[in-house]
Amino acid sequence: MPVVEIKNVSFAYEHDLILENINLEVEEKDFLAIIGPNGGGKSTLLKLMLGLLKPSSGEIRIFSKPPHKGLSKVGYVPQNTNVNTDFPIKVLEVVLMGHVGAKKPLFGYGKDEIACAMGALAQVGMQDFAQSKIGDLSGGQRQRVMIARALCAHPKILILDEPTSSIDIQGQKEIYELLKMLNQSMTVIVVSHDISIILEYANKAAHVNKRLAFHDISDKSKTFHTHGDEEHFCEIELLQMLGAESCQKCTSASSVTEGDSAASQPEKERTWRKEA
Amino acid sequence: MIEALQFTFIQHALIAGILVSLAAGIIGSLIVVNRMVFLAGGIAHASYGGIGMAVFFGFPIFLGASAFAVLAALLVANLTLHKRHRIDTFIGLIWAVGMAIGVIFVDLTDGYNVDLMSYLFGSILAVSTQDLYFMGALLGVIVFVTTFWYRDILAVSYDSEYARLRGIHVRFFYTLILVLSALTVVIAIKVVGLILVIAMLTIPVYIAEKLSNTLWHMMILSGIISAIFTLVGLWFSYTYNLTSGASIILVSAVSLGLFLLLFGRLRK
Repeated sequence: MPVVEIKNVSFAYEHDLILENINLEVEEKDFLAIIGPNGGGKSTLLKLMLGLLKPSSGEIRIFSKPPHKGLSKVGYVPQNTNVNTDFPIKVLEVVLMGHVGAKKPLFGYGKDEIACAMGALAQVGMQDFAQSKIGDLSGGQRQRVMIARALCAHPKILILDEPTSSIDIQGQKEIYELLKMLNQSMTVIVVSHDISIILEYANKAAHVNKRLAFHDISDKSKTFHTHGDEEHFCEIELLQMLGAESCQKCTSASSVTEGDSAASQPEKERTWRKEA
Repeated sequence: MIEALQFTFIQHALIAGILVSLAAGIIGSLIVVNRMVFLAGGIAHASYGGIGMAVFFGFPIFLGASAFAVLAALLVANLTLHKRHRIDTFIGLIWAVGMAIGVIFVDLTDGYNVDLMSYLFGSILAVSTQDLYFMGALLGVIVFVTTFWYRDILAVSYDSEYARLRGIHVRFFYTLILVLSALTVVIAIKVVGLILVIAMLTIPVYIAEKLSNTLWHMMILSGIISAIFTLVGLWFSYTYNLTSGASIILVSAVSLGLFLLLFGRLRK
């Protein structure tokens, strides 16, 4: 059963149609990359999944429930973790914000909450920085803390919005290695610009530009043949290819989940799920 | 200076200065980290409308100013949620209209010639026992609210979108911070006046922010720094016969300058 189901969802701000007839299913332990041009609706799609926005039409289900009810199972790492760095707050306090619904003590934080937050920090390798001021960390370290905050609620799905913007190359790689490790126990959904990097780690890709083109990319050697070089992907060709609403190269994803085609082609859908 | 301490009005001034400083430290911290300084300025000036109406209708000035400031705070909170992109325009409006209402009501009051300046720049030497009770009670409420809801207020201030996702009622806490700011502004009017109140809410906080790792450190440190500035300012005011509010603000500003010089050196 898919952990995220998006059925015929459209979204408009006032009269601007941002997303049109989106269909997407995310399976357990998928690593889904959401890519596409700026203003194409990637972040809007994330906000819809989180229940921060409501679709104009269509339906979204997280673990078969409306998004705002499934939130305790979703960990969210927002974009722009570099704003507000003057804020006087310790790393541990940031992570403690991740707790949800748990019984809270009348004042301050419970011992179990602190232990759990320290555990989450250890998971991302930041336990030694628990007492540091958040503004004293590097961009990459701060991003790890934000991931720890999301892990604090023991999520089944981890959703990240541009996790590596404004982080140096080494830091980016470390973040993705961390996500790969976390992916062994949870579903990971990442919105990103770093197409070539993210595709190394993702097994599914969704190209969003008002409409959505879905690709199963778990078998990369089969999927990508750009420049005749299998080690290096040309980003421009990749984007064009992934953006195409019907894509020839990506044979395994013949059931491009676009429009009503997915619903009317149950046969093909089943085929690629088996392959994946 | 020591012999001055036997006068009741001096004792009241010192107690009022300390109570207001502690409240301003806590609320000023919240205003600064939430980037609400301009909002608080608007509310402070708008509260003059309440002072004018209180004078005209003959009810206690504290009450009039408080009611008006809280109404302005609720209006501002509502506008920030619904007209976010035009908020600066609306704050400017509330700022000026509130003051205009106050001025007109004072004009309309027969035979009223109390010094306007005392509200604009403070009248700390005219603090009554009743004023002290009001200040003490408000400080108590502020301390209780910020302690009880500390983690929620912290979450909303640091990352309001995330707080909303974690099921925290962001709108409630945002409004709460603005209402407490409004009441703090009203008691600070006695000490520094409504024009200078913004400096009291920001200068000590700015210094404390550089020296603090956590929000509650910042709140306490701001309160202590603010109290020191207030007491030193009062001493200048008493010794050289200067306006108390302006003395406190200038002491704060000079100290901030020195602090930035020293702090810059240390960082290098």
